[in-house]
Amino acid sequence: MRHAMVIDLSRCVGCGTCTVACRAEHGTPAGVSYNKVKKYEVGKYPTAKIKFLPILCMHCQDPACLKVCPTGATYKREDGIVLIDHDKCIGCRACVVACPYESRQFLWDIRNYYPGHVPTPYEVLKQKDFEKGTVVKCNFCLQRLEEGQLPACVVACPAQARYFGDLDDPESEVSRLIADYRGTPFREELGTQPSIYYVKG
Amino acid sequence: MLKRFIDYARRFKGLESNQKAFKPSPYKWKQVDPKEKGKRQVLYGLCRACMQGDCATLVYLEDGIIVKTEGNPEAPPNYGSLCPRGKSELMGLYNPYRVKTPMVRANPEKGLDVDPMWKEVTWDEALDLVVERLKNVREKDPRGLVLCEGWGQRDTILRQPFGQAFGTPNEIGSHGALCTVHYPSGLVHAGYPVAIVDLEYCQYHITLGRSLGPNFATAPGTRKFARAIERGMKLVVVDPRSSYEASKGEWIPIRPGSDLAFLLGMAHVMLFEVQRYDVWFLKNRTNAPYLIGPDGDYCRDQKTGKPLMWEAIEDTAKPFDAEFEDIALTGTHTVNGVECRAGFDVVCDEFSKYTPEWAEGICTVPARTIRRIAKEFVEHARIGSTIEIDGFTFPFRPVSLNTERNVTNRRGGTYADLTGKIINMLVGNIEVPGGCLSCSFRGPIMGPDEDGTVKPAYEAVPRPFKYPPDHIGLAEFYPHQHTAPHIAIKSILDPEKYYLDYLIEAYISVGGNPIKMNAQPHAYVEGFKKIPFVVSVALHMDEPAILSDVLLPEHSALERFRVAAFYPQHQSIDDEVNGLKMIQLREPVPRLFNTKHADDIFTELAERLGILCGEGGLYDHLNNNIDWVDKTDGLNMNGEYKLDINRKYTLKEIVDRQIRGWPYSGGKGLKDLKEKGYIAHWKPRKEFYNYYYFPDDKTRHPFYFLGLKKVGDELRANLLEHNISFPGVDDMDYVFDLYRPVPHWVETPEFRAPEGFDLWAINWKTPYYSSDAGNVAGNPWLAELYSKDPYEAVICLNPVTAQRKNIKDGDMVIIESRYGKIEGRVRVSELFHPDAVGISGNYGLGTLQSNPLNRIGPNFNTLLSLDEKTFDGVSGGQDSAPRVKLYKKEVRK
Repeated sequence: MRHAMVIDLSRCVGCGTCTVACRAEHGTPAGVSYNKVKKYEVGKYPTAKIKFLPILCMHCQDPACLKVCPTGATYKREDGIVLIDHDKCIGCRACVVACPYESRQFLWDIRNYYPGHVPTPYEVLKQKDFEKGTVVKCNFCLQRLEEGQLPACVVACPAQARYFGDLDDPESEVSRLIADYRGTPFREELGTQPSIYYVKG
Repeated sequence: MLKRFIDYARRFKGLESNQKAFKPSPYKWKQVDPKEKGKRQVLYGLCRACMQGDCATLVYLEDGIIVKTEGNPEAPPNYGSLCPRGKSELMGLYNPYRVKTPMVRANPEKGLDVDPMWKEVTWDEALDLVVERLKNVREKDPRGLVLCEGWGQRDTILRQPFGQAFGTPNEIGSHGALCTVHYPSGLVHAGYPVAIVDLEYCQYHITLGRSLGPNFATAPGTRKFARAIERGMKLVVVDPRSSYEASKGEWIPIRPGSDLAFLLGMAHVMLFEVQRYDVWFLKNRTNAPYLIGPDGDYCRDQKTGKPLMWEAIEDTAKPFDAEFEDIALTGTHTVNGVECRAGFDVVCDEFSKYTPEWAEGICTVPARTIRRIAKEFVEHARIGSTIEIDGFTFPFRPVSLNTERNVTNRRGGTYADLTGKIINMLVGNIEVPGGCLSCSFRGPIMGPDEDGTVKPAYEAVPRPFKYPPDHIGLAEFYPHQHTAPHIAIKSILDPEKYYLDYLIEAYISVGGNPIKMNAQPHAYVEGFKKIPFVVSVALHMDEPAILSDVLLPEHSALERFRVAAFYPQHQSIDDEVNGLKMIQLREPVPRLFNTKHADDIFTELAERLGILCGEGGLYDHLNNNIDWVDKTDGLNMNGEYKLDINRKYTLKEIVDRQIRGWPYSGGKGLKDLKEKGYIAHWKPRKEFYNYYYFPDDKTRHPFYFLGLKKVGDELRANLLEHNISFPGVDDMDYVFDLYRPVPHWVETPEFRAPEGFDLWAINWKTPYYSSDAGNVAGNPWLAELYSKDPYEAVICLNPVTAQRKNIKDGDMVIIESRYGKIEGRVRVSELFHPDAVGISGNYGLGTLQSNPLNRIGPNFNTLLSLDEKTFDGVSGGQDSAPRVKLYKKEVRK
């Protein structure tokens, strides 16, 4: 079993629903995003186009972040999910620098979304899980997977651009998509063996 | 000033709670009810983060706190997906800038940056104060009340009957003046609000000035779009900006404000170069063969008065409904002693001028591209093909061209949409599978009138003339207008000039924000200052709220109980929802503040005014109203479920009756709706295509737009009879030039801007701001997204233009139209036409007490004109692409 995600770039419209769905799922403090969409232009007028590249933790099988973690806080599960044990994280930030995808953020502070106001009840409830001085990132919505649900960004995407499944199963939707459309990870040449594949770029 | 102040001081005397001032911060949130601790709950929700407001959600609560909203995976139309606004709704609930309790102004001086010195009052005090003033207004002249609605509050069912019971004709939508897109679809399809593309079948879609969903991230629109692109539909996006959608198809960059020229050029190619049109459709389903006399009217049968067509075999004119062996589509004949021409020829005569080379000179789209697009459109139309659906044979035309607000919002904009209709009619794709469909009620609405052509509906039905006018938005002078807050504000400021014989004495804002949503925001501020009494049913401290005398705080969207009928969607349609009849429930989350449901506010006001019950009361009107868009398929008070007009009901009781009387509920009520959160009924698919109800030659779409001419002629006669000019326009022909029955090129005043105004400002909706529902611009989750988006809250310029003006990416610039001036930071981008200055969304303005996020960014609307000469005389639409000059802002060292 190896959890993986396929993102169909021909479907993605760059709306940012994944970013907000992730924020709503995890209650991340202001300024922290596990799930981002980069927008960039290709071509010149009059044939220029806008393109989108959704980026999250790539859940690499040979993760650069794991190698540099001095305390073993970053670990990889058997099902391929890379997680951070926040009790072990000492906030050295070596992983933040090491991750080639800029998928990790250090919590310098726990900020609220309405600056100058007391935190909203939502934030009070959700931010209990965050510890200042540690590093955070996408966990492939493990809490949802454990309940048999797909990750929040997969479910919410209005373009249905995201697929989630088992890369070890050659018949799974993600495996077939990767095979049919020659899916590739972002910056494959780095050799980190990500679990996020992109198709139809 | 002093008198008003004394007046206010007197009002506060004796109010027990008059000492507390409005302070948005710090604010203590209501403590979690200890009883809720440890509880988890899921409520059925119905999103309200855009105008469409039909995404089914599940709202999750923990310890009584809302922890997330998700799409309901079981329910159409979003099937579990959502958009960034919908996912952010909970931050709109937990918004410290909300109006949390009833308040009354103590400072008579009004302004966006003037502290009203709010005093908190009880609900009773606030309502009594409002009622006392409204009573006076109603006694004097009920027309003196304006009821202004908008996208901020589309969850009320009692606002309209309240206005009717009060007796004011002045219900004004704050949002529509930059979205005048409705008349042509009402005329040609008898539909509303617009015509859309059938994404289940369409193979070649041309879209102008509009979105299929992705540009402003409507979840259902985006779902359908992604599927259509995946199955290989060719998409052509004619736009000054390479939008999200243009980037998924073929982008045809066009000079802003010149779409009419492109459309006329395309129609010219189809008529004179490709010359392959759906002749059967034109002969049998349009008035193109009707003979037109020298007066521009139909040539009519002397005995029956019926319009005549030419019978080619018998070589004679016959009434349109006689037996024809061969209808002549073209030709000039003498009938009853006068020379008549086939309507088709009359249209061709006009369109012969508009060669693609001519169009290129105006719109910059190369003539060869216009030719290619026209040819491809016809090739993909599969003229003559049919498709069988549920055993019924339809013409099959998998192409559609659709236009919307950035095409129609300017002088001549109605003609642009009508030219689009002609292009569609040439391939016979109206209301058939794959083609161009209206998105209102599905049913027998395209029936013919006595002349055999589709009976106009919705905004194509002219509002009657009256002088002096009753309507503050001057519907009497713009009989096909959409909402007209921009005209209303001019009438409020200068009633005499606009022929009004009464004054606006009171104004109630219900989710409407004409200040933020229209040209020249500061003109509205002056209007608000002039109106003696302003009330806001207020969500947050927005522009109308801070200018109000009394604030009646309302629930945020998540707190509002709501049952709504699912409307056919505005962006596109496909098999995921066609034929779907549905009602959806929103179970409210516990309210956070001392707010009320807007409908409970209207009930209270009506009761205290004595207009709730009895004949002509609110309930009486509610009983007799029919849903504007979805007619009998909407939620109405039907049959035995009508209200007893002599007793009071709760909102839930009323809604329960609406559900029970809904034609597809099978007698179920509110309790049953709570099982799944929705009740869905799928109609046979064939019934979705309105062709089904009037197939073959059972009705005719207007190709020669006599209806437009007739309304214009009547209006002109009325002006002459009263010896008055068109309000704000001295030269009558300037207006009536737009009522000619055949579309023609109309040069907007922006084409004649003085030297130096060398660019055109353009604007578009974004995923973060589609319509001002629930103060999305102030939502910090969305703000985090738009603050990182390279194209948001900046001034976008093509690199060639930037270089010519010696401007670099990141420079601060001033953008100046002839009507206003704004500034912003430049983003140099290849995604824009060199003549365009791109400014997205609706940023800026805000108030002293609003969320500071509402004050950030360039306010595009400041650049727009409030001058009637720039409006479309038919729809009343404002010009959305003003000419501008742009120069570097001097930075003080």
